[in-house]
Amino acid sequence: MAVTGTLYTYPENWRAFKALIAAQYSGAKIKVLSSPPHFHFGQTNKTPEFLRKFPVGKVPAFEGDDGFCVFESNAIAYYVSNDELRGSTKETAAEIVQWVNFADSDIVPPASTWVFPTLGIMHYNKQATEFAKEEVRRVLGVLDSHLRTQTFLVGERVSLADITVVCALLWLYKQVLEPSFRQPFVNVNRWFVTCLNQPQFKAVLGEVQLCEKMAQFDAKKFAETQPRKEPPRKEKPPKEEKKKEEKKAAPEEELDECEQALAAEPKVKDPFAHLPKSPFVLDEFKRKYSNEDTLTVALPHFWEHFDPEGWSLWFAEYRFPEELSQTFMSCNLITGMFQRLDKLRKNAFASVILFGTNNDSSISGVWLFRGQDLAFPLSPDWQVDYESYAWRKLDPASAECRTLVKEYFLWEGEFKHVGKPFNQGKIFK
Amino acid sequence: MAAAARPGPGVDELALLEKLLGLPKGNKYGVQGERKVPVLQTNNGPGLTGFMTIAAHLVKQAKKDQLLGSTAEEKAVVQQWLEYRVTRVDGGSSKEDTRIILKDLNIYLEDKVYLAGNIFTLADILMYYGLHHVMVDLTVQEKEKYLNVSRWFNHIQHYPGVRQHLSNVIFIKNRLYTNAH
Repeated sequence: MAVTGTLYTYPENWRAFKALIAAQYSGAKIKVLSSPPHFHFGQTNKTPEFLRKFPVGKVPAFEGDDGFCVFESNAIAYYVSNDELRGSTKETAAEIVQWVNFADSDIVPPASTWVFPTLGIMHYNKQATEFAKEEVRRVLGVLDSHLRTQTFLVGERVSLADITVVCALLWLYKQVLEPSFRQPFVNVNRWFVTCLNQPQFKAVLGEVQLCEKMAQFDAKKFAETQPRKEPPRKEKPPKEEKKKEEKKAAPEEELDECEQALAAEPKVKDPFAHLPKSPFVLDEFKRKYSNEDTLTVALPHFWEHFDPEGWSLWFAEYRFPEELSQTFMSCNLITGMFQRLDKLRKNAFASVILFGTNNDSSISGVWLFRGQDLAFPLSPDWQVDYESYAWRKLDPASAECRTLVKEYFLWEGEFKHVGKPFNQGKIFK
Repeated sequence: MAAAARPGPGVDELALLEKLLGLPKGNKYGVQGERKVPVLQTNNGPGLTGFMTIAAHLVKQAKKDQLLGSTAEEKAVVQQWLEYRVTRVDGGSSKEDTRIILKDLNIYLEDKVYLAGNIFTLADILMYYGLHHVMVDLTVQEKEKYLNVSRWFNHIQHYPGVRQHLSNVIFIKNRLYTNAH
């Protein structure tokens, strides 16, 4: 019986491709959940329910219709394969595992170092890139001499070895292996192109365009995704966040998130399109808020028209108040976040306030979002700052919520929970 | 002139193809003329004459049209190699003819896995049958010299159902002469 089940991933994840191509060969029926509302990358995979099934919280993750759960892309691909793909003798099976590991240990690291800066998702380091290029050349050389006499990596048919190594080389071939670079590796090229053109690969990968001209570091794109303009202090908290995560996961995890960012890019048109129409018109409220008295006009208007089905209110507090020093830097921290969230303006409103004085301050705010979830995971541009804040959903019917909305929108009040005086406020609109 | 030529590929090979395609036995073949051109008697209409005509007919009968190529270009390339097979491989008989064929194919197959490029087609099957007697007789050095042909041939002979009763040709996977090109 062929396997049936669900694969959780983010769109265009090359690691998920391995399982999907294997399924094309084996006839396994895999339902892919990669986008909202079924799967929000960075959110769904952090829920207790997901973590109970997949303790690492990474994707791809596979859940069989029979309840069997497995994570790690190679394990998933193995599970959904048939015996031909896994190798039918001990020797071929061992050789297949050999190439699968080779892909992870020898191809993925230099490929990431070289390719990511060209996609603007990692900083460029000339020395590291040059080293990675040489490493890629070495790896291609190894493959090339193997494929001189071999049509496929193991045996005389496509196996998990080919599927895994092709997927690991995919970004190199798409992004940087321009014709002159790949020309000496004629055997690898022949094998690679043949694999891509097998109907089972094509069904998953579509038409793959091989690199015409080696992509270079994309400084502009890099600046867009990770602005460096703010004071250096600004960068620190998110970085620490990252470090923590990196310790937990292998360095390749970064690849996943970077590629997720990449994959999500063409799809950012309207991440809220799936939501039903809401009677609450944000622009109307913003006009009232900007042009008329907050207490007597804007706030009553807000509560009169607020649609708790289509919108949600959140309280956000900066998690590292002890790192806030100069107030002007803290303000930059807030406005920097607003800038990065630019595309969210149509679907969000916020009042964020800096309390206290130099070296003794805190930041907190009230946010209004379209939908019932935090909008940040919907776009990679939006994920830079939000993990530096603790987010708490407010119950619009509660007195606490009413008070918070009033005080934060008004920039006046007791701010009982803060314990520091109001310094200045910023409005995201 | 016709008397000097070798007999064309025959009924035996069509039987191999039938079996490979999973067709039930039952086609009746005859031969025609001095070169013993195979003829297939069909239930409706006139008989089919000629090896390639019949081979293509069998593929269609087995509903495996993809073996004739999918795109227009592939179909043309498949036809090209079928023609090459009949005119050059079957037509040539001298050592020199064979050398040229192997040289041609070796260059052609450097960047291709199959004769039609990326997919296995009838061209691979019939070229394999046509070259089997040549490859069997190659020395280890010659197999190394025509490395791309060897790799291709070895792959095709391992393709499920292709080889059947034909002998397995052995290829050495590591280089014999590391200085050779």
